[in-house]
Amino acid sequence: MSFASSESADVLIKASGLTKHYDGFSLQGVTFAVAEGEVVGFVGKNGAGKSTTIKALLGLIKLDGGAGAVLGHDSATLSHPEGARIKEQVGVVFDTISMPGHLKVSEVARVYECAFATWDQRAFQSYLGRFELPADKAVKDLSRGMGMKLSLACALSHGAQLLILDEATAGLDPMARDEVLDLLREFVAEPGRAVLMSSHITSDLDKIADRVVCIDAGRIVFDRYKDEICDQMGVARCRVADFEAIAASSIIPERELVYLRHDYGIDVLVPDRFAFAENFPQVPCDRMTIDDYLALTLKGGVR
Amino acid sequence: MKRAFLIEMTVLKSYVRQLVGLGFFVSIFVSIGMQRIVSVPGVLTMMMFMMGSMSAAAYDEQSGWGLFRLTMPVSRRDVVLARYGVILSLGVVGALVGLVAVAVLTVAATAVELPAGLSAALAFSPENMQATLFASMFCMAMGSTISSIVTPIYFRLGQTKATQYIPMIVLLIFIVPFLVLGGTGVLDAGSVHLEGIMRVLAEVLAFIETPAGVAAFSGAALVFVLAVLGISATVSLKLYESREL
Repeated sequence: MSFASSESADVLIKASGLTKHYDGFSLQGVTFAVAEGEVVGFVGKNGAGKSTTIKALLGLIKLDGGAGAVLGHDSATLSHPEGARIKEQVGVVFDTISMPGHLKVSEVARVYECAFATWDQRAFQSYLGRFELPADKAVKDLSRGMGMKLSLACALSHGAQLLILDEATAGLDPMARDEVLDLLREFVAEPGRAVLMSSHITSDLDKIADRVVCIDAGRIVFDRYKDEICDQMGVARCRVADFEAIAASSIIPERELVYLRHDYGIDVLVPDRFAFAENFPQVPCDRMTIDDYLALTLKGGVR
Repeated sequence: MKRAFLIEMTVLKSYVRQLVGLGFFVSIFVSIGMQRIVSVPGVLTMMMFMMGSMSAAAYDEQSGWGLFRLTMPVSRRDVVLARYGVILSLGVVGALVGLVAVAVLTVAATAVELPAGLSAALAFSPENMQATLFASMFCMAMGSTISSIVTPIYFRLGQTKATQYIPMIVLLIFIVPFLVLGGTGVLDAGSVHLEGIMRVLAEVLAFIETPAGVAAFSGAALVFVLAVLGISATVSLKLYESREL
């Protein structure tokens, strides 16, 4: 398990050993942090514990152990009256538009206006225009993509310092996703801001994340800088003979030799693809994507 | 709490408009049946209390709204207190809209001769006014009692699950006391002075038919409404604080 460090900058989210037990599932000692200026991608299979972690950080569930902190305040206080001031600065988007369906887009804005002292109606109107969202349409009549755009427009219109997005780009077409990613880049470019973004669409994280945290069966599996994965690592596409040669060469320590067998060969996780290319020029070694790294880490074997 | 109240009112606004319309529709048929319009504010009050608490709980479950609301700058305590504030406000709005409607109809019937003897039926009389006020306050007490029973259950179980249990719980609350009284023999001849109770009851009812009686009943009903909603809110606070959403 690898962990990137966020100690150098101001930490906006800190999960310290988050533990929560349910029948058939447990969140077990989840620990990571999101620092100022970062976009952290939170990945994992369905039911791995991403949404539970986000709920725990937002103080929506009571923990059995550990502690979460958002903007320097204990997550447990967020559900209390004194937590309201903190929640003013947190924009949240869940995987569906979480509003009663009969509300019109303009009424959703009214709900936010009632809830957030910092609500910026002009900014919201501007996002409506940018996303081509009709103000008189009911939430139930919006497509999934339009609903997600509305949720994002709301989250970005109350001066949030921190965005917590749970599958926010799901259901968006590729062009809309790019548009949303641009918005998130603009958001995080302002000082003092950060984004925690859970997603199944790892290509989005390839484009925007600074760091990737992976959870599986309630445990953090890795927490790495994206550049470390995508710029430095590689996937060696081996035949069996190549694989044995790599294992024998000790360029990758045997305990760290992660591989995934396919019908047509073996993929090997290469920690430094440039050094690997020098040593094994005959073995094709592709740039690692987050998807490749996830597959190798979660499904791969260790020799 | 103000934020949570305003959020709730925004969510319920369009439904309340429909409910007032539906309330008048029901009131027309009740009034035709009774040949009097004294029940209009009562019908509206009762509907607002009951449907308000039920529909607010139903909206909580739509698209995870109840959970998402807690990501906004409101606490669980705010949500519960706002819910009771909304229920009470809707009940009072129902009573006021009903009373205004009755007043308008009465004035219209006095000013213009309406066909089919309607002017006579709608004409102002002190008895009608007393009866209207009594019916309104009685319905307010009944509506708030029902809301006070169902709302903590909604907060604990959520609307979908609560719907399975509420009929049984209401049945137990209203039937069990009578079963206990019957089963323990408390009502057997000699055990309780039923005649005395009936006499006191008759005196109370006769007093309520007087203007002073209606005023006293209205005051008592208001105190009862606030007390029963207050107790219910205290229970709901405890239940909602510990609920896993």
